[in-house]
Parts: sequence; structure tokens; C-alpha cells
Amino acid sequence: MSLEDLREELSKVVDATDIFPRDYQKDGCVLEIRADADKIEAVAEATRDADFFLECITGLDFTNGPQVIYHFNAFSNLSRVLVRVQLARNQSLPTISSIYDAAIWYEREVFDLFGIHFDNHPDLRRILLPEDADFHPLLKDFGKVHAFRSTEEIYDEPDA
Amino acid sequence: MTNQMLEPITEQTYYLNMGPQHPSTHGVLRLFLKLDGEYIVEADPIIGYGHRGHEKMAESHLYEQFLPNSSRMDYLSGLLFNHGYVAAVEKMAGIEVPPRAEYIRVICAELNRISSHLLWFGTYIMDLGGFTPFLYCFDDRENILDILDHVSGSRLTYSYCRFGGVAKDLDDEFISATRQFIERLRSRWDDYHNLVTKNVIFIHRAKDVGVINRELALRFGCTGPILRGAGVAYDIRKAEPYSVYPELDFEIPTGTAGDALDRYMVRLQEMEQSLRIVEQALDRLPDGPIKAAVPHKVRPPKGDYYFAVESARGALGFYIVSDGTSYPYRLKARVPSYGNLQVLTDVLPGTLVADTISILGSIDIVVPEVDR
Amino acid sequence: MAEKELAPGPRVRLAVLEEVLNLCRANSLWPMTFGLACCAIEMMAAGASRFDLDRFGAGVFRPSPRQSDLMIVAGTIAKKMEPTIVTLWEQMPAPKWCIAMGNCAISGGPFEYDGQYAIVPGADLIVPVDVYVPGCPPRPEALIQGFLALEDKITKGEKRNVLRRFKRRIVKSR
Repeated sequence: MSLEDLREELSKVVDATDIFPRDYQKDGCVLEIRADADKIEAVAEATRDADFFLECITGLDFTNGPQVIYHFNAFSNLSRVLVRVQLARNQSLPTISSIYDAAIWYEREVFDLFGIHFDNHPDLRRILLPEDADFHPLLKDFGKVHAFRSTEEIYDEPDA
Repeated sequence: MTNQMLEPITEQTYYLNMGPQHPSTHGVLRLFLKLDGEYIVEADPIIGYGHRGHEKMAESHLYEQFLPNSSRMDYLSGLLFNHGYVAAVEKMAGIEVPPRAEYIRVICAELNRISSHLLWFGTYIMDLGGFTPFLYCFDDRENILDILDHVSGSRLTYSYCRFGGVAKDLDDEFISATRQFIERLRSRWDDYHNLVTKNVIFIHRAKDVGVINRELALRFGCTGPILRGAGVAYDIRKAEPYSVYPELDFEIPTGTAGDALDRYMVRLQEMEQSLRIVEQALDRLPDGPIKAAVPHKVRPPKGDYYFAVESARGALGFYIVSDGTSYPYRLKARVPSYGNLQVLTDVLPGTLVADTISILGSIDIVVPEVDR
Repeated sequence: MAEKELAPGPRVRLAVLEEVLNLCRANSLWPMTFGLACCAIEMMAAGASRFDLDRFGAGVFRPSPRQSDLMIVAGTIAKKMEPTIVTLWEQMPAPKWCIAMGNCAISGGPFEYDGQYAIVPGADLIVPVDVYVPGCPPRPEALIQGFLALEDKITKGEKRNVLRRFKRRIVKSR
């Protein structure tokens, strides 16, 4: 399935205004989607049906709440899709581990390092840190960091 | 890969703990296996025994200060990680790299890829019980390390790539030594194939063992030789061309069945392709500067950037969020072995304990890379 | 008066035997196959064809701690790994020795900074160390020199370092 078809499918799931084409040379991905937490399962199903694999899940921490970034990619040229989910502090989001098996470990990692809870995850344990650890190290209020910023300070509004 | 013994879980079921100190788990991986007799019912790889907090470290270090960390994540293909990190920051900051530097990077990175595959070759066969190939391939590997040591000053954890170029120029000695090495390694293939590939014991241990097909690889996000062993010609060097790879002529070797033997063959053929790349790059090596003028502290503009390279184990990505200062706001390394290792939870059930060693060896993980 | 004629100290002197034993121990070290990170690869290289640790009688790498008498802590010690290393050390039969290989095992190396949460900065915080081999990672030649230093030490029957850090174990919170 080509990227246009995927875009077609995705526009059924999320608002068309939340889909932004990105320049691969500039950003490393070709499509960015801003989804709400409850939409992520539908987005993942669309990418799975389009024969994409889950490349990684990244947590980010901002003063106005954490973000979870999903990178999807296909076994073809230049097709990386970035899905950005903005969360409120202590908000949980649904797991996509029933859609992509790879998400089981990636979500465990995000939980371990950021303390973000994934609902209905089959096995949400710590993965990198010892099981008895009582902290989430990549939160910006833990340890030594250079800066703790809000999303507005980093991202300009993307032009659709 | 199922067998009828699995269905009724009897009181014969018991647990076996492999690792974190086990000669065949390649470092500090721990495998928690639920067994029914000799058959595995459930497998749970437990990672984190090599967690060093690279990503947290990046948040309080300058881009330049993080440079040595990149090669310590995956110490077997340090230059490839080094290249990936440096290129990601260069793309963000808009630094143009002189062509000679790009060629030098590709030559050294491909040599590093060969040395990584050679080490895998030795340890994999050693896991299966043959000690001799280990000594042969370390002999060849020492040659590469000498060559890279000569130019970068380090045997293993190179910080040879710098923002805007490389640290030191190649000299004639490097070039002649590399050409000699290419000849030498090509003459060794016959030894390797006679010693291992045609060995009936090896074939029995590797053929039809640990089948990872395209569908499974897609679900778990496996990349690299595992994916190519399943017949998918996906290689970041072709799919998202970077550096000077588009100018060079090479093929992507693929397998068919996706078993351990296919992954073995793919890696051996990849070494041959890497030799071809090195040879072409040496022929075309342009003159010119090896380092662009870059500011003392790199300050990429605001925003996020994902840059992928093909490491020896698969697709490696650096996802960097910059807040416009000379410190990364967040740096995430998407390491190939993470997805490649997770597939074990699906592949191991139904196989014999003895095959665990063969499957794990054929996947070729580096634990501190998984744990970061 | 009769008591004074008795010489003080033991009647049977084992000093010579002890020296012979030490010589044997020094020249037949059995290291444990046990790598943590990058340094393990250089340890393998030291045991492989070019550097050949067998020349110094130390090439018999044993996978089991119960069969080995030398632990080479080769790499960064993660907090998660720490109890395992202590267990392995305790499982080894005495007399036993320990080499801290690489900067990570000596002091945390490049990974020790203000705010580090994941590693134990130095093997000598958890096990007594006899020889320190610096480098990141040390070259195989350096490891061989470490072996020779350890063999010297064993031959001379020197006591283990009085471990300044091992005695006062710092438990850093986070």
C-alpha cells in the first residue's frame, strides 16, 4: 500500500487537519500525525493494514505534560510516519500491543523510564531498571538535565 | 514449530534460568524459560543488566561530549553508531560534509561491519561447539582492528567521526593495508566454507531452526540480517540512502526460509558486499579537505529529527529533539537488537533447549546495545 | 627454664610449600568467562589467536564460578547486575583473585557523572580487587600486563590490597 493510500485511511481516523506532510530531508519522516490518546489504536490498525512495522516508541517530557512518539515504517523507500500523542500529566493511554507485538517491550520501556501507564497492557513491568526501583529516570525533574521546557518552546506550529 | 508435547501442561513443567552469567547469552542477557521436558513452553528474555543510562546522560552533556557514548552502545560496530549519531546531528544543524570525509566514513564503517560479522561468525560457531573457526576469524579480525587502529587510534570504541568530517586523514599505509586485507579475506572464504558451511553438524544445528518469516518480522519490527534472511531486501543503505552509498554498487543478499542457516548465509554474503564497497570507495576516494568548518559548539535549530543508518545488526535510528541550545533536549537511540531480541518470545516456544543457543546466536545481539 | 628453650612459632614450617603452591597458583589461573560490556570483547581477543593468554597459563576460561579462581570484571556494572556479581564472587572457591578491567570497573569511567542512576561506580565497591587495568577498553596487551602483575603478586605471596573503598561501602541513593 502506498503512502497516499495510508493517508487516505488515516484521514478516516483522525481529522485531516491533524495530518501534516513532512520533508524527509529536513525531519527524517514523510508524514506526521497528531492524534489524541484514544485514537492511537485506530491509527495503529491503519498502519498495520498498510503493511507498516512499528519502528520505536519514544517518550518525551515537557512542562505541559509528556508526549509519546510512535515511529512507523514500511519495508520500502522513504516511508517513515511519525505519530505524536500529547498527554496530560498522569494521563494513561491505550496499549497497541494487541496490534503490534513489538509494542509490548517498547511500551514497557516508556513505562519504565517515564512512568506513563498503558491501559490493558498484558505485562506492564519494569524492563531496564531493577524491579524494585522507585523512580522514572528520564523524567525531567529527576537527576541532572539541561533544561525543562514546554512544547511551544520547541515546536513551531507546523504548516499543513 | 509446534509439537504435540506442548498441549497438556503437566507437572513435568519447570523453570530454567539462563544467565545473566552464561557463556552463550553473549554478555548479560537473562533468559527465563518454562520447560516441558526438553521443550520450551514459554520464554521471557529479561534485559537491563547492562543499562547505563546513555539517554539520560545525553540530556546533560553537549552534543560533542556525547560523541564517545555512541560507539560504546554497540561496541562491535562502534563506527556505524558513531556515523549514525554524527550524521543525525549534521543533518539537524545543516552541516555539509566534504566528499572525501564521506568516503572515509564509508570505508571505515564497512570495515567495521566486516569485523562485527567476523566476531559473530566466530562466537556463533563456538556456541554450537566448534572452537577452531573462532581462532581463524579473530586472526582476520585483528587485521581490521590494526587498520582502524592505525587511522583512529582505537581498537574497539572509535570516536573517529567528528561533526563535519573525520578526525584524521587516510594515508598510503592505510590504503595499501586495506587492499592487502581485501585480498586476504577473499582468499579465506574457501577455508570458512570448508570448515563450517559444508559441515554436516553445523547444517543440522542451523537448518530449519528458529524460523522468522516476513510476517513475524513485521510484527516485531525486526530488521537487518534477520529480515533479509526472511527474503525481504530491506536495507537502510538502499531504502533511505545516506552518505555516498547511492554512488556505490552493491547488492542486498537475501535468504528464503528465514532460518538460522539463512541468517548465517546472509551475513557471510554481506561481508563480501562490504568488501566490494570498500574496494570501490578506495578507487573513487576524492582529494580535498576531511573536515568542514564547524562552530565550536554545535547548535541545531529547534525541532526534532530522525536519522537512520544500517548498523551491523539492522536499522539504527537516532531521534533527537533539540531546543536550540548546544545540549540535546532528548536523544533516543532506536537500536536494532531491541526488536530483534523480542522476537525470541515468539520463536523459542516449541523448540528444544539446545536450539535456544543456536537461535540466540544466529540473531546476533549485543546486550549493552539493547539496554543502552 | 625449660619453656624458654622451646623456639617460638610453629614446629612445622610450611613456608617453602606455601611458596611452591603460590608459584603453581600464579601459573595456572583459571579465569571465569564473564563479560559485562565492551571490555569483554578485548578479553576475548586476549584469549584468541594473536595474543594467546595460554602462554601465561591463564587461558582456561571456565564458564562456572565454582571451577575458576580469577574473576575479571570486564565492563560497566549496572545496578541490576550488582547482586549477581556478588553472588558469583561468593561462589568462587578460595584462594581467588579479581581483576578490574577497564575504567568502568575501576571507577565508573565515562559513565560516572553527577546524576548517574544506573551503574555502580567501581568493582571495588562490591568485591575486593587485586589488579586494576585502566583503559577504555584496555588493549589486550594491557590485560596481559595485568595478568603478569597478578602472577607476580601471587608468587610473592603478597596480601591483597587493603581495600579502602570496599570497607566503607557507599550506598548512594539514586
